[in-house]
Amino acid sequence: MEIDEPELAGPSKGKKQATIPVDDAHPFDLEAYISSYNGRTIVDRLSWIIQQCPTLAPQALQIAMVHVPRLRDPNIATMLLHAYEQAVASGVQENMPSFVELSKVDQTWIDELNRRNSEDRVKLEVELKTYSSNMIKESIRMAHRDLGEFFRATGDYQSALKQYQKLRDVCTTSQHVLDMCLSVLELLIESRNFNIITSYVYKAEPALDATSNMLRNSNQGPTATAAPPGREKIAAEREKVQSKLDLATAFAHMAQGTYDKAATYLLKIGSIKSLGHWIGTLVSASDIAIYGTLCALASFHRSSIKAQLLDNPTFAVYIEQEPYIRELIEAYMASKFKTVLEILDRYSTRHFLDLYLTSHVVNLTNLIRSHALVLYFQPFTSIKLESLSTAFGWTPEYLEQQVVALIQAGEIQARVDKQNKILKARDIDQRAVLFTRAMKAGKDMQATNRKLLLRMRLQQAELIVKPPKTSQQTTAHPNELGAAFDQ
Amino acid sequence: MSNTAAGPSTATSPSTTNTNAQQHAPATLEELLHFLLSEQENSAVQQTLKNFVANKNRDSILASVLASGQDPLDLLHPETNTLGFLYILSARLNVPNAPPPQLAAVEAFCRSFSPTQARLAPERVTALAKGIVHASGDNLKFAVAPLRDLITRYPPNMSYLTTIHPIFLNACVSTQNYTSALPILTSPILNIDLHLSPDLHYNDNLIYHYAGGIVFGALKRWTEAEECFEIVVTAPNQVPSALQAEGLKKLTLVQLILHGKALPPPKFTNSVLIRQFKNSPYFNFAKGYPRTIAKLEPLVMKDEELFKTERNWGLIQQVISRAPRWLIKRLTHIYLTLGLSDIASQIGVRSEDEVRALVLDMVDTGEIIASISASGTVTFSDAASQFSYSKEEIDQALALAQEQSRLLLQLEREMNLSKEYIAKALKHKDEAWGAPDEEMYNTHSGGGWGDDF
Repeated sequence: MEIDEPELAGPSKGKKQATIPVDDAHPFDLEAYISSYNGRTIVDRLSWIIQQCPTLAPQALQIAMVHVPRLRDPNIATMLLHAYEQAVASGVQENMPSFVELSKVDQTWIDELNRRNSEDRVKLEVELKTYSSNMIKESIRMAHRDLGEFFRATGDYQSALKQYQKLRDVCTTSQHVLDMCLSVLELLIESRNFNIITSYVYKAEPALDATSNMLRNSNQGPTATAAPPGREKIAAEREKVQSKLDLATAFAHMAQGTYDKAATYLLKIGSIKSLGHWIGTLVSASDIAIYGTLCALASFHRSSIKAQLLDNPTFAVYIEQEPYIRELIEAYMASKFKTVLEILDRYSTRHFLDLYLTSHVVNLTNLIRSHALVLYFQPFTSIKLESLSTAFGWTPEYLEQQVVALIQAGEIQARVDKQNKILKARDIDQRAVLFTRAMKAGKDMQATNRKLLLRMRLQQAELIVKPPKTSQQTTAHPNELGAAFDQ
Repeated sequence: MSNTAAGPSTATSPSTTNTNAQQHAPATLEELLHFLLSEQENSAVQQTLKNFVANKNRDSILASVLASGQDPLDLLHPETNTLGFLYILSARLNVPNAPPPQLAAVEAFCRSFSPTQARLAPERVTALAKGIVHASGDNLKFAVAPLRDLITRYPPNMSYLTTIHPIFLNACVSTQNYTSALPILTSPILNIDLHLSPDLHYNDNLIYHYAGGIVFGALKRWTEAEECFEIVVTAPNQVPSALQAEGLKKLTLVQLILHGKALPPPKFTNSVLIRQFKNSPYFNFAKGYPRTIAKLEPLVMKDEELFKTERNWGLIQQVISRAPRWLIKRLTHIYLTLGLSDIASQIGVRSEDEVRALVLDMVDTGEIIASISASGTVTFSDAASQFSYSKEEIDQALALAQEQSRLLLQLEREMNLSKEYIAKALKHKDEAWGAPDEEMYNTHSGGGWGDDF
């Protein structure tokens, strides 16, 4: 529930600050990137970029300042200032222009905004009070909603969430519940508070079912002829909500590091249109393509990648947004893992500068790398470590480390011939293994039976350890016997 | 040598002196002896001995010497007069200040007593066993041989648990006479008959198997030690006993030696016991195993006092000294060839010679299959694919399995005959068809094989 600004820098604190390069090898077009968003997220994203990448900071700040006056959050300028100061302090870029020079923040604008905000707030609260005293449920609901939206716009996420949560008590139809859940989800994603997303998705799902059922039933009423187009409309409506829920669930799973589930939900999302205004205010279509693909590559089997990612016409539309993602998938499917890793490295800037993806980039890259290594080795019975390291473009030491880790994790059935620098697949004699296992099972079974039988006999004879009536034990303390091992 | 002291004259006196309900019951040791020598019917003998004199005086009279100063044990024959001999012998061993019997007499009795007669007086057998230990005092080793005779001859076969078992093992462990315990320990306990040992206590089972685990452990037969400790830990309980808590600690340490890691506690382990154990330093130690000795040592040093007072220090030292072996074993799963120096650095052993010796020893004991080249390269080969079984071994395994399922089938039939089972089955049948039936009738031996896994 805590939403405070310093948390934004959280994931990157441990790492070296401001090492994200923007150069020919790591292209990043700030204007193109930011143009696919609108609303508050532009400033949020830019602020992140300012912190992470001082090279881009002045440019980012300039763009951000264009958008700031359109927002109603008076603190946002301060937030940008902090971010910018951090970037200056990192000292990566010399001769950065000062904040005031670029921002031209008008103190009168801030004062004016504050005044307007407090006026609006008073007005909305008075409205809510009147409705509450008149007990008009529908109006109370609207008043809470308006107040929630107001708080959200002014950047007070906690108060906004509180208002939305109060909505629950005054919801009269399932459509209201659905609206409430979607508002909350939007708010949670915007404020990057992923912990409680799933609980709102769970609440929304039955409401969604109820709403579509209700619509269907009402259509079967007097105008039976209008039913077929109605049904299509219902399906479209339903898809709209479902896609949003899927996206929210995917975010929740990503935050927990369950990338396989995140990928499943991301790949289920309907058409771009179905996400409505979420595209732009929260994410862009290319973001979905990137998240979905990276998560899928990191956690899916080859066959499921093909079935769910490549042969998925809906998701293909998303992929169109980012051509390099298609290259990435194609290289992966063609087992050109060096290319895969190169693309990942080339676009790492893009990934690190993404507000939602940034903390997962390292994990995802590692997972994709291990998957690739496993896949690459699959057809071989033995392979020189050297050729493996050239195929991946790694140093032999790093490769060996990776391979050993994978063997220990049981991902690769192979062993390293350290002297000859060869990775050899395990030659398993299934027959011998089977016999060994069967023999062991037989022995274990007999031992287990024996022990169970004794246990049963003990129970039949009621020789059960009971709480002592008298504390005196008739025998020596066990430790006296334990001395046997000391000699 | 027969009835010189107890003549026929005394045989008539009971009718006049004894006013109790017993008409011809002997009242003095002489009369009793006479009776014992003349009467051959075992149950009558037992009855007479049981009712001999009033309860509190009986043992002191039994423990006394004949008026003529003769030892009554000299007059009785251990095999034909087992019951009488047993009563007198056990009394002599247990009554304070009684003239101690000759060691030879005790040994002779244990060697040649008649089991059928002895089974009529099970509590005297227990008393005898305790008496033997008690009487031998500091020279406990003299107790081992007679106890072993007693234990092998008294129960119908070695699968029965008796009260003598824990006494015997205790004597073995205390005298460090581990090998004498082996013939008893190697036949597993499968039966408990309360007619054989009516005063059997749950502690007897716990002590027997706990001591058994120690014997096997001292002889480095870890598999059997593990089984013994497992029996201790899983013994049925309402509350965990101290022995079970100690057993779980030792079980874990033995598993570290045997498997290189601690297995999850057995299914029937009391949850309180597990919780207690998880808070003990043993659990932490087991969790971090195996690691290099340099890392393990500080871990145990922290709780050295505790380990020492609980007398597990020796075992812990053994566990630690085996750590490099488990690390090498782990390397065999990852590497095909490895230089001696690489192994040394990975397992935290300083010199290559030490590693060489260790690898050679492991190859000798069959823990790994490997070879060392002249240049110091170790080549591991896969253990699993090297294994093959001869036809005889497989036949033997099959025969064992069949025997096992026959045993289970027989057990099931016995169970089906029991009153409680039938009563329960009928009750279930009345209540509902379906699920309970399946559960009940599925106790067939075939199902039994699968159920446990």
